[in-house]
Amino acid sequence: MKLLVSFFRRFLRHPWKLLGGFIAIPLNRLADILVTLTIGAALNELQDGAADGVLTRAVTLVAIYAISQAVLSFAQRWWIVSTSRIVEIDLKRELFDKLTSLPFSFHNRSRSGDVVSRLTSDVENLRMFLGPGMMFAFGSLVMLPVTLVLLIRLDATLALTMALPLAVMGGGFRLLTPRLHAASKDVQEGLADISHRAQENFAGVRVVKGFAREEHQADRFEEASRINRDRQIRLAHQRGLAHTLAGTSSQVTFVVILLLGGRAMIDGTLGYGDTLVFIDLTLKLFWPIIALGWLAGMYPRATASAQRVEEILATEPEISDGQDPIALPETRGEFRLRDVSFTYPGAERPALEGLDVFIPAGSRFGVVGPTGCGKSTLLNLFGRLYDAEGEIDLDSVPIKRLALEDLRSPLGYVPQDSFLFSDTWAENVAFGSDEPIDDARLVDLAEIVCMTDELAQFPDGARELIGERGVTLSGGQRQRTCIARALAREPQVLILDDALSAVDTETETRLIEHLRGAAGSCTVLIATHRLSSVRETDQILVLDAEGRTEALGTHEELLEGDGWYARTWAQQQTRAELEEL
Amino acid sequence: MSDQDTLDDELIRTKAWDSKLLWRLMGWARPHRLHFLLSAAILVALFAVALAGPYIWRLALDGPVREITEGGTDRKGALEHLYVLAAVYGLLVVAHGFLSYFEVAQLARTGQLVIHDLRSKLFAHIQSLDLSFVDERPTGSLVTRVTTDVENLSELFTSGLLVLFFDLFKILALVAILFWINLDLALVVASLTPVLIIVSMLFRGGARRGFREVRAHLARLNGYLQEVLSGVRVVQVFHREQRVSRRFNSLLQPYLQANLKTLLLFSLFFPAISLTVFAIQGTALKVGGGQLITGELEFGAFYQFWIYLAMLVNPIRELGERYNVLQAAFASAERVFAIFDTRPSISKQSEFAAAVSETPIEHLVSFEHVSFAYIENTPVLDDVCFKIPRGHTVAIVGPTGAGKSTIVNLLQRFRDPDAGRLIFDGHDLRGLDPRELRSACGLVLQDEFLFEGSVRENLVMGREAVTEQSLQRALDMSHARDVIERLPNGLEEVLHERASQLSTGERQLLTIARALAGDPKLVILDEATSSVDSATEARIEAATRNLLAGRSALVIAHRLSTIERANHILVLHRGEIRESGTHEELLLLGGLYARLYDLQFTEADEVLEP
Repeated sequence: MKLLVSFFRRFLRHPWKLLGGFIAIPLNRLADILVTLTIGAALNELQDGAADGVLTRAVTLVAIYAISQAVLSFAQRWWIVSTSRIVEIDLKRELFDKLTSLPFSFHNRSRSGDVVSRLTSDVENLRMFLGPGMMFAFGSLVMLPVTLVLLIRLDATLALTMALPLAVMGGGFRLLTPRLHAASKDVQEGLADISHRAQENFAGVRVVKGFAREEHQADRFEEASRINRDRQIRLAHQRGLAHTLAGTSSQVTFVVILLLGGRAMIDGTLGYGDTLVFIDLTLKLFWPIIALGWLAGMYPRATASAQRVEEILATEPEISDGQDPIALPETRGEFRLRDVSFTYPGAERPALEGLDVFIPAGSRFGVVGPTGCGKSTLLNLFGRLYDAEGEIDLDSVPIKRLALEDLRSPLGYVPQDSFLFSDTWAENVAFGSDEPIDDARLVDLAEIVCMTDELAQFPDGARELIGERGVTLSGGQRQRTCIARALAREPQVLILDDALSAVDTETETRLIEHLRGAAGSCTVLIATHRLSSVRETDQILVLDAEGRTEALGTHEELLEGDGWYARTWAQQQTRAELEEL
Repeated sequence: MSDQDTLDDELIRTKAWDSKLLWRLMGWARPHRLHFLLSAAILVALFAVALAGPYIWRLALDGPVREITEGGTDRKGALEHLYVLAAVYGLLVVAHGFLSYFEVAQLARTGQLVIHDLRSKLFAHIQSLDLSFVDERPTGSLVTRVTTDVENLSELFTSGLLVLFFDLFKILALVAILFWINLDLALVVASLTPVLIIVSMLFRGGARRGFREVRAHLARLNGYLQEVLSGVRVVQVFHREQRVSRRFNSLLQPYLQANLKTLLLFSLFFPAISLTVFAIQGTALKVGGGQLITGELEFGAFYQFWIYLAMLVNPIRELGERYNVLQAAFASAERVFAIFDTRPSISKQSEFAAAVSETPIEHLVSFEHVSFAYIENTPVLDDVCFKIPRGHTVAIVGPTGAGKSTIVNLLQRFRDPDAGRLIFDGHDLRGLDPRELRSACGLVLQDEFLFEGSVRENLVMGREAVTEQSLQRALDMSHARDVIERLPNGLEEVLHERASQLSTGERQLLTIARALAGDPKLVILDEATSSVDSATEARIEAATRNLLAGRSALVIAHRLSTIERANHILVLHRGEIRESGTHEELLLLGGLYARLYDLQFTEADEVLEP
């Protein structure tokens, strides 16, 4: 509840619309009630034998009230719900910014589908509850007491007896709500499971079909669908109970009105018009009460959503600008690692342990070692995607003392997974540059990464859309595009995380040559499986399977030993370049 | 440009009413018709009970109440009469309570029964379609078919169709009853009801377009979000948080505008409806009031009229909404049926069913003058001929784009050749059931795909041919036993999404074990290029050796050890087989293979002897 209130504060950023809306709500309800009262009064006068003039006056009043009611009802919905929509996108934006600022360790932990659903269904649940939900609730909360007072003035016994079933309904909803909530949570989970299974099967279709397991997988999917079906039915039963509770309570009030109202009419204490007011107001109470029930049903979902959203908003990026950051306007690109270790959260053993390296500005530094030795992890530490123990200095300043922007601006990073946006090739490359880049530069970059010929084959050249809706790039093309993106940054430090693994050997040779020219005075950090890629580097760090330093030296020095490097080099020489044969 | 495409896709115009589509949907409902009948019966009973209530009011007001107010003296008799009526009313309310519970439960059950059938069959159908069908579509859009689209249809079956028809029936029935109560009042209602219906229908059109627009923008928004999340590392290192935020914001704005447009419609609709209802009530008061004075109309009848009037408004107001449900369902149904209407083009063709007698049976596989192009006039394979003798390994080497994967696709019959034919075990491939063919093959793919689920499930995959014994043997031969022993629950360990708790090499070993477990007639191996550490490499090499030993196999080879050990090597270049022979023969030939091979080793020597 407290959480929901704190989210509601966001609505207060739009005070005028909110105020207008919340003034319109009671006035609107009032106009609605006045219509009924006018008609009731007219009928009473008719019963007492009034003349035709009464009717004309009553109809005129009804018209006035009706028109005001319409205008107010428009205003209330427009102001309040539109505010809720604005708050929705504010919240989405805030979440988005938070997500992009959270460290990679957070994203590693969470399924991206789950995070997306927080931004969609959870935000929507919140909006529904706090926007339209509050609007209906407020209307109902105005309508209920006002109506009750009016009815008590007409016939206290009847009014109070009539209120009983409504109270019962309120109590019933309190009991039902947790069950409804549980059932609907089950349904949500079932639906998520279905979607997840479908996703997996379509993504792995080659395996499914390759093993002729279509029927087997379809059976498993059917099972998931059946579970969902049964849960949906269970939920419907709970909903049915809620529906009955609401419906029956309102119907019972009619029986009460008939019984007590009828008796009062027989006794002459209540007129026809008064009874009609009872009936009409009860009818008009029906929706507000349903709305309250609906809101009660929504409440647990809204609180759960609020918690999930808050969880993200409250996550502090563990990695942020250093305290009193030291300015580093010009980077030379010199790194010093002192006793650097790193353990993944929750892992038993460190991924990296006790690394000491000095990387002079403008030098080339290679990291190699068996799979899982922590090569990528080490490269991730330089840009503080993770924070290491020990100390990493950039140009003699500990990187934790730098503003993130100062640290990351000079880095040109080529990720292992060759992530690209579904956008044009040119846009993807320009992503790296702080300034918009011109066509001449694009041509240069394409040339450096050996993609000129390939781009020429695309119908739209560099403006060709790549990704799901555009051309599909091969692994090597993706990697080279990523390199172009990193170079577009004119980096002082170029980080290549296994960035040439899918590039064929011939292209690799050319590319490395081009890079030598393009990277210029830049410090280059390379992690790779392919030892030929680090052959020309100034020093090579060999990590063992435990993430410790096995050896550090130049290619020639390492070959002289008979360690992992020399062995692997011999193996790869016979193997590596045949790949592309 | 792409954004526009999605938008257009979402905005495909659907016909307002499509009876053919409806008829097809009804086909899915047919097996559950008893449930539909029960639902209909409940709706009718509920309506009858609801109608009875106001009638009791009339009986009470024009009976005992009127008797006394018009000067009667039998207060006790009148009260008794009133109590009896109230008791009947009470019973009706109880019935109403039960019925409305069953209404919700039964409508949902009916809908869910149909939806479960539809969803399962749709999924099974997608699975049965050609590989290219699934491959060529974004996974997300296919997932939408079995999730969102199916759920739209579920709305149709639970709250759409039956209720829509019943609402129409209610409206007609109520108007008819109003006429029976009082002609003049009924005429007032009948003349203003069309206004209600027009408002409701006008609104519905706008709301539908509005919602579509909102959905399209939301899809774009979520697509971008998903993308940024998967690339968050790049965003952060490049310090582009603000740039992606601006882009996200630029996608939020049209989404907001679309929502506000829809909201405006809603904000206009509800007041318009209530204003019209007030107009009816006001006019009814004027007309009815006059008649009450003259005594043409009794108060009880006026009450009854008043309550029925309230009952009439809701179905009319809902009409537009029901119609929208129907529209969304039609749009979804169209997309869903489009999938059902897609037939796999790869199937058993009876004209090729007969065994190819002239084929020497010692070859398990023959490619006979096979040509193939994905796009017309850009052949990927050109007149490719080769054979895989039983028990032999044929390795294909060649640069990327040479057509290696295409050969595998053809052999697995994911595609049929444009010219020439493939013979498997003495049969033209086109005469075989593709599933039978694939069952006979053991497949090891580059991307080491494993399903979420236990290791055992992943290795067995529900294949009857896989026994505990063959599974254990496969574990030994594939050197995957160590991998499994390392897992806390061994074979029962549940693998995460993309088997993320295993390394690439471990996943590769499991995929080899998976292929071995089925004891395949033919092994199809697309060797992974991703490098792994040397210990794992050695295990993979040994596993590969065991996989291929004594089996007929087609290998897209990347490992020298695999290539050297192959019985036959094909050098594929630009869709043509340029050289073929054993490793030694090819070296002797001094062609493409030898040149490249030499190049590697002289270079290596230079390095090794500084």
